[in-house]
Amino acid sequence: MESNIDLKKIWTQQKIETPKIEILYAKANKLKSRSFLKLIAVNIILLLTAIFIGFIWYYYQPELVTTKMGIICTILAMIIFLLPYNSQFSLLSKTKTEPNSKEYLTQLIKLKEKQTFQDTTILSIYFIMLSIGIGLYLFEYVSKMTLTWGIITSAITALWFAINWFYFRPRVIKKKNAKLNKLLIEFEKLNNQMND
Amino acid sequence: MTNFETIYKANWQKVFRLCMGYVNDIDVAKDLAQETFIKVWTQLPKFRNESSIGTWIFRIASNTCLRQIEKESKMPRSEFPREIKEEILETNIEKDIKFLYQCISELQEVERIIISLELEDMNQKEIAEIVGLSQGNVRVKIHRIKEKLTQKFKKNGI
Repeated sequence: MESNIDLKKIWTQQKIETPKIEILYAKANKLKSRSFLKLIAVNIILLLTAIFIGFIWYYYQPELVTTKMGIICTILAMIIFLLPYNSQFSLLSKTKTEPNSKEYLTQLIKLKEKQTFQDTTILSIYFIMLSIGIGLYLFEYVSKMTLTWGIITSAITALWFAINWFYFRPRVIKKKNAKLNKLLIEFEKLNNQMND
Repeated sequence: MTNFETIYKANWQKVFRLCMGYVNDIDVAKDLAQETFIKVWTQLPKFRNESSIGTWIFRIASNTCLRQIEKESKMPRSEFPREIKEEILETNIEKDIKFLYQCISELQEVERIIISLELEDMNQKEIAEIVGLSQGNVRVKIHRIKEKLTQKFKKNGI
């Protein structure tokens, strides 16, 4: 086919200078250290919060078991929230060799579905655990207050939970899922092209 | 010269052309090519010669292109070095080269990758390995795409 030869000839005429390899090395190292720093930062925040809560436990010596349970719940909530974040990094790189495009798209679709699950389920669990934790934690201190202050404190806390649950949580989920769903549709479109 | 440097020098243009066929934008194509080689660099110690190195690099390049939509929606253009910008502006891309790349970028995404690999002189077995389709399917697709491209070129009077 004559047009075939022509196309190849035209195709290979597209040339631009090969960038210096040093630029690539610099970029690669920068990316590497950036993702490493991000991972460290997240875990340090987790650690610091846990230490802070542990300090409260140690310093104020709570008497009631509910307070201790509250503290544990709060820490657990944070761990639940951050665990998938840590494992997300390795989701794609686990495969030994580079998959072909068809497999790759399937993996990407699975990954996005997993992220959607994480965003909705994990976020809800996180809010529930955190609310229970803080609620339990506050119980001891509220019970020592006068009735009026107790009611005021409980009301404010309950209001804060309600705002989180009914306003922030759905908003965050909706925003994240909208992005993910858009990508999922795109990847599925690509995957369908494979089967045409 | 290290092993990677040899690979980089021997394949950069090819990978760039594949990316260029996919996005038809020199800057984005360069970013994609760079991203491909960063992956090649980090994964090279794991490479076990299950396939030829060329096939492996093109797999990474194709997958990087396919994932490009994610970046489009996630963040604006990356801040990859732009110091070679002036040279790009000077590059004289002839009319038919431009037209060919434009036509290819108007195809479906998977078709873009297949035709780019074909024009890069990969055989159909290798293309099948890279995209994960059967050889027969690849043959049919190449035939169809070439017909489309030839028609466009005829229409345009080139």
